[in-house]
Amino acid sequence: MRRGIPWVRIRRAVQGLALVAFLGLFVWSRRGGWPPSIVNVPLRLDPLAMLTHLLSSRTVLVGSSVALAVLLLTLVRGRMWCGWLCPLGTVLDVFSWNRWRVKKQPPPESLRKVKYSLLLTIVFAALLTNMTLMIFDPLTILFRTLSVSVWPAVDQMVTAVELALYRVPVLRSGVSTFDGLLRPTALPASPAFYRYSALYAGFLLGILALNLVAPRFWCRYLCPLGAMLGSLSKVSLKRREVNDQCQQCDLCARVCPTGTIRPDEGYASDPGECTVCLNCMEACPYGAIEFPFHLSPAGWETYDPSRRQALMAFGAAIVAVALARSGLTALRDHSRLIRPPGARENDLLSKCIRCGECIRACPTSAIQPSVTESGLEGAWTPVLVPRLGYCDYSCHACGQVCPVQAIPPLSLEEKRQQVIGKAYIDENRCIAWADLKPCIVCEEMCPVPDKAIKLETVEAVTPDGDTVTVQRPRVVRERCIGCGICEYKCPVNGEAAIRVYAPPDVS
Amino acid sequence: MSRLTRKQFFNRLAAGLGVLGGGWLLSACGGEETATPTATEAVSTPTMGAAATATAGEATAPATAEVQPSAAEGEPEAPAPTEAQASSATATPSAGPADLVVARGGEPEELVRQAMATLGGMERFVQPGYSVIIKPNICVAYHTYEYAATTNPWVVAGLVKLCRQAGAGRVRVMDNPFGGTPEEAYLRSGIQEQVQAAGGEMEIMSQFKFLPTEIPEGRDLRSCDIYDEILNADLVIDVPIAKHHGLARLTLAMKNLMGVIRDRPAMHSNLGQRLADLASRVRPGLIVVDAVRVLTANGPTGGNLDDVKKLDTVIASTDIVAADSYAATLFGKEPMELDYVRAGTEMGLGRSDLNNLRIEEILLGT
Repeated sequence: MRRGIPWVRIRRAVQGLALVAFLGLFVWSRRGGWPPSIVNVPLRLDPLAMLTHLLSSRTVLVGSSVALAVLLLTLVRGRMWCGWLCPLGTVLDVFSWNRWRVKKQPPPESLRKVKYSLLLTIVFAALLTNMTLMIFDPLTILFRTLSVSVWPAVDQMVTAVELALYRVPVLRSGVSTFDGLLRPTALPASPAFYRYSALYAGFLLGILALNLVAPRFWCRYLCPLGAMLGSLSKVSLKRREVNDQCQQCDLCARVCPTGTIRPDEGYASDPGECTVCLNCMEACPYGAIEFPFHLSPAGWETYDPSRRQALMAFGAAIVAVALARSGLTALRDHSRLIRPPGARENDLLSKCIRCGECIRACPTSAIQPSVTESGLEGAWTPVLVPRLGYCDYSCHACGQVCPVQAIPPLSLEEKRQQVIGKAYIDENRCIAWADLKPCIVCEEMCPVPDKAIKLETVEAVTPDGDTVTVQRPRVVRERCIGCGICEYKCPVNGEAAIRVYAPPDVS
Repeated sequence: MSRLTRKQFFNRLAAGLGVLGGGWLLSACGGEETATPTATEAVSTPTMGAAATATAGEATAPATAEVQPSAAEGEPEAPAPTEAQASSATATPSAGPADLVVARGGEPEELVRQAMATLGGMERFVQPGYSVIIKPNICVAYHTYEYAATTNPWVVAGLVKLCRQAGAGRVRVMDNPFGGTPEEAYLRSGIQEQVQAAGGEMEIMSQFKFLPTEIPEGRDLRSCDIYDEILNADLVIDVPIAKHHGLARLTLAMKNLMGVIRDRPAMHSNLGQRLADLASRVRPGLIVVDAVRVLTANGPTGGNLDDVKKLDTVIASTDIVAADSYAATLFGKEPMELDYVRAGTEMGLGRSDLNNLRIEEILLGT
């Protein structure tokens, strides 16, 4: 590690490659893409997700051991994950807004406590089988936002451009070829819709906007995964040191993105905050910065978690979990709480890491992040919204891609038998029932081999006194699997005239 | 490469957009309407105008079609009337090919080949360089072809091969499934594998190619978002599988055209008339009904082998109404029991009086 080796460039190249790899895995995680075992790697690398899943579900997943690689890296080289690999960290580096930042004092050092409090609360809540706060995990934030906001928006933009260019006859064949390359590999053949996609985009934009206050604000003060790796970095083998060549020129402190280099303490830094970005080493004109071996742990900082903080986090977790499950905020008996095939309610709540892989994999965008259906505790867990998409009879992708088996990996045959809900006809809205007009769309669409919707031909009298023959749909409840294609395709405006409700045996 | 200043960048961007916009305006003036767009023909897509002229020319045809046998209707997609006459004169012997051919008892691909040979050969429909679109029924991604929810892969592939042999340029196969994604449906139906082996392409129907289209002859459906490529192809071959349907009773060639429009639920009120209206605009040049396996109940999705009946039959015709009428009889139904056949007959899209049609039946040894 002598001067001359362009470490910052190398680091940036690694960051870029890692980001491309993560994005690539995201893009091809749609059904028909790469196998689930590969698609799952990014989330299995996340030690926080794997630890909380282990604590909360009390089940051991072999695939989780991938996260040990990140832990090992941290024990050797500190928070290198944050500075070199984390896709959200790289995005924060790209959108650093350095030029727009008003130069002023950074926030107080005590703010760094927040991330430790968050981490402790997440871990304690996981012990109480609650995973709600995993919505703050950096990888789940990124993947969820990509699935629900970014990619659908990209799709809409591309479609708008294609639509405009396609009207120019000269460009038609070109646009067709371009579209053929893009779909269905990278973008879906028909657009995906997600409720509240602006909410998720806003969450990520908020994190990006905080960069205006201080570079990598999220990583410094808020990131629970950063806190986890930071505490481990206290005992990492290689840590930053300033040797006696230092001339107190202050350059290193100025380039440090996490602001952990303290001029008043001889330009020393906290390994719990250092992301090993190596900006300081390259900036130092005297070669005063080294990363030697250490065996003794690094010193405790004022903002590092104290016993009091841990106890408070524990208390907060208990109160929050209790409140989330009390009648005040729980909406778990929501009649439209339709879960992905095979997922059991309590299992799902204690296993789901809120990563949104199932949402991404679902080819019909039937799976949506829950906002109200599942109450506060189930925020952003997957829920099926049949009016927006149906569970495709030829697909079992959600269970295959789920990195933590919160949705069980059913075979296609098993999934076709799996009851996820039951359809009920609203005779006041149904075209055939209420208007006495021909419409058999629900029956036509029903994928069950012997049809869970049957048509009965009846004679009815219209308000004008005419007698008409009409085919009326009826649901054969035992056969219905609740896939929701009937509700999705129902041509009635607004709320469908046939709707799927959670099956009675799901609490 | 020198770096641009912001101003230069915007200047060039504006220039580029101006050129694009200008081109767009010019082309819009050239021919958005059905009036023959010579300008567009000259640019790059010679097929564009062809479909338009064909339909414009045919607007007067239905009245005469009743009296005249369908020889005149045989070339609805031909680029110009003179050429159409010339090609039909060379391809057809003095008596002319039958109105409808039924081939029974053989392997699917052989049934197609024999039926087409009897109908006058694929050369009657395809000229060298033609862009052909084959529209099978791939309505769901749920089952393999044995379940008779999707068209037989070898029937489709047989047509692809015949088109290629007749000198067609691109031969594309497409449908827009209502259940499951197209890529999955293409795979599971087995059609993708056979079509690609036969030298055809599978096209995923892009959302932006469904363009608002007038239906001048429509009686109920006056306009509709129709897949643009279908209207621009030199030849469209409609290849339905004959199967049960709750409302239409049977889904056949006219019902199969539902796959080329965007808003399908809207069709369901007054389905019969609207299907005929749609057929009057799309005007497939050749209809091949796959009745190798037919689905007798629980259609159109299927899924139960007990509902499947193996008939080993293929029907080929240039007359969409006649093809559907004959196919109805395979299910023991009278043609006029089907609303769309009745509507199509009334509109003069074709004939349903099977007794007066020249039908040639061929029996292949199995």
